[in-house]
Amino acid sequence: MKILVVDDEQVVLNSCKRVLEAEGFEVCLVPSAEKALEALEREGFGLLLIDVKMPEHDGLYFIQEVKKRWPAIPMIVMSGYDTAETIEEAARVGAAVFIAKPFTPDELVGTVCQVVSKEESHETDESPGHR
Amino acid sequence: MFYSTRSKLIASFLGVSILVGAVSLFIGGQLLYKAVLSEAMHRVSFDLNAAREIYLARIKAIRTPLSITALGFGFLSALKGQDAPELVNRLRRLAEKVELDFAGIVTKEGKTLCRIGPNSIPREMAQIANPLANLVLERRVAISGTVILSKEFLSAEDPELAERARIQLLPTPRAAPRAEKEETSGMALAAAIPVLEEGEIFGVIYGGVLLNRSTTIVDTARDTVFQHEVYKGRSIGTATIFFEDLRISTNVMTPEGKRAIGTRVSKEVKEHVLTKGKKWTDRAFVVSDWYITAYEPIEDIFGERMGMLYVGVLEAKYADMRRKALTVLVLIIVAGMALAIGLGYLLADKIMRPVRRLIEVSQQVVGGSLTPDIGPISKGEIGVLQNTFKEMVAAMGRRSEAAQNRLLQSEKQASIGRLAAGVAHEINNPLTGVLTYTHMLLRRKDIADDIRSDLQTIAQSTERVRRIVKGLLDFSRQTRLDREPTDVNRLVRSTISVMENQALVKGLSMKFNPGENLPMLTLDRGQFQSVLLNIIINALDATEPGGDITVSTGISLSASDPGKKGVEIAIADTGCGIPPEHLDKLFDPFFSTKEVGQGTGLGLAVSYGIVQRHGGTIRVQSEVDRGSTFTIWLPVEEQAEEHEDTGG
Repeated sequence: MKILVVDDEQVVLNSCKRVLEAEGFEVCLVPSAEKALEALEREGFGLLLIDVKMPEHDGLYFIQEVKKRWPAIPMIVMSGYDTAETIEEAARVGAAVFIAKPFTPDELVGTVCQVVSKEESHETDESPGHR
Repeated sequence: MFYSTRSKLIASFLGVSILVGAVSLFIGGQLLYKAVLSEAMHRVSFDLNAAREIYLARIKAIRTPLSITALGFGFLSALKGQDAPELVNRLRRLAEKVELDFAGIVTKEGKTLCRIGPNSIPREMAQIANPLANLVLERRVAISGTVILSKEFLSAEDPELAERARIQLLPTPRAAPRAEKEETSGMALAAAIPVLEEGEIFGVIYGGVLLNRSTTIVDTARDTVFQHEVYKGRSIGTATIFFEDLRISTNVMTPEGKRAIGTRVSKEVKEHVLTKGKKWTDRAFVVSDWYITAYEPIEDIFGERMGMLYVGVLEAKYADMRRKALTVLVLIIVAGMALAIGLGYLLADKIMRPVRRLIEVSQQVVGGSLTPDIGPISKGEIGVLQNTFKEMVAAMGRRSEAAQNRLLQSEKQASIGRLAAGVAHEINNPLTGVLTYTHMLLRRKDIADDIRSDLQTIAQSTERVRRIVKGLLDFSRQTRLDREPTDVNRLVRSTISVMENQALVKGLSMKFNPGENLPMLTLDRGQFQSVLLNIIINALDATEPGGDITVSTGISLSASDPGKKGVEIAIADTGCGIPPEHLDKLFDPFFSTKEVGQGTGLGLAVSYGIVQRHGGTIRVQSEVDRGSTFTIWLPVEEQAEEHEDTGG
């Protein structure tokens, strides 16, 4: 499965890549929402890992775009700013799962596996990035 | 201006003086005057008695000398001998002494033997009837009294008398109409004595005075009774003898200053006295003026009401008295009104000075000054008002100070919250890296034990950093209150039961004194429990083994807003206490006296925020080495979430 990670912080991108690759996922890193949309147009992904707070277009905008154009792709929202409002807003625009920064590798893997297994139990064949 | 206190006060005073004045004017003008009048009438009624006595005395003064003369030596023999000249002599001497207008002797046959007049010894036998003598001859007793004498009789006695008796009737207002133009009969006081010897009548001696135009009796009566009392050049008292309703003898004057002989009495008096025979005592219109009068009928020797006796005093005197009294009263009232205005002005000034001062001071307070100068405190209600005002301003000062403190604390929390949120975001990203790589390293099997130990220390420290940042975020985030009706005692009891084990381990005793009849409050139970936990944990930490922690609840009024009802939860410990210099920093974020790693310094700050968002307050009383008491106050009403967004 190919995972797209969107964050403006290089250290977070690197951390995610390190942990997820160790678990056997294919990981693509992009530093902004624009880059992420380009990547999504280019290729298919099985999961998106998105930071809510980013310069320029922020994560919430990005989530809405994805929901519109690739409604089947599941999303995990991460934030170092886990206020109730942020979580609510993310849930409202369609990201079901939320993970608070900072997280340990185990927490990240656990969350990702939870979402992936849920997806698989539903309708696995239609997922475009699925392998 | 009209509605000012001064005008009202003056108006009240004026009202009172006008009312009192009107009442005294009424009493003075009406009631007192009536009393005076009735007193005057009473007096006039007595005066009439005196006048009657004078009238009767005059009759007696005629009768007695006549009787004596009749019994005089030689009188009987002269009569028997028909010695007219001798008898005339005797009669003339008598008449001169007793001032008789007429006198004479009638024979037992009723013929006039002689008289004192010019035709003293009448020769012709055709004679005028003598009502006096005839009555004596008929009754055979002496008679005396009032008698009406005809013009013929008078002419026979003396033509001058007839002339004196003739009185022109003058037109008089209010008199009953009378057909004749003049009165020719005369009214006289007379007596007639039978001259007797051994029961046999030899003749009658008679005599009298004509009342018409006579002044003797009326003036004597006036002078005796009223003693020359004069009012404005006129005699106060007057007396009159009426022949029927005609004034024949009087000292009532006409406006021209002549005796009002020929004028007549008013119709109503005539009817009352002459017709009905009653006494009259009242005001009456006499000739041209109002008098206070008394009339009584005069009966003649036949018992017929032939005339009236009158006395009266000028009413003008009493009216003038009244006018004078009223003038004095009006002057007093005017003076009273002037006094009322003056007094009202002064009093209003005295009353209003502190009030005006209060108004000025109120304006100062409105302008923002909370330390105004009220001036000297008056006595009485104004003083109470001044003191209350003073207290009110002081309370406002205290309250605004409390509000300011609260605002300051809110602002402090808000800015720190924003800072914390920003810092948290920035720190969390690198922290993700540290956590990730440390844990990835720890997963490797090929590392030495000492390196593994170091890595674990890094991981633990990072975890701590994570907790601190989490606490910061908890503090900064203003989560929505999830309120539900809560029994405060139950919530406190369940919180205590969570901590009881820890207290036991430390060797402390925990007590709970639940207040009775507490109202239900709508609280966010989870958040509020964390507040209680926080304070109880602090208390546990601050108290040495053997100490006490006492939690009590109860109903209480707000300390900063008197009159607002609420529920109080007090957590008291017997611990080390809080130094005074720490007290005002207690609720600041990151303020902690605990050792590094023991507390984040956010617990009380977060608690403060939660209580504040419930509309409540936390206050602390503490004494070093004696213990501290944290008191949470929550309002009963005002459960609206108006404090929700403050400090975000």
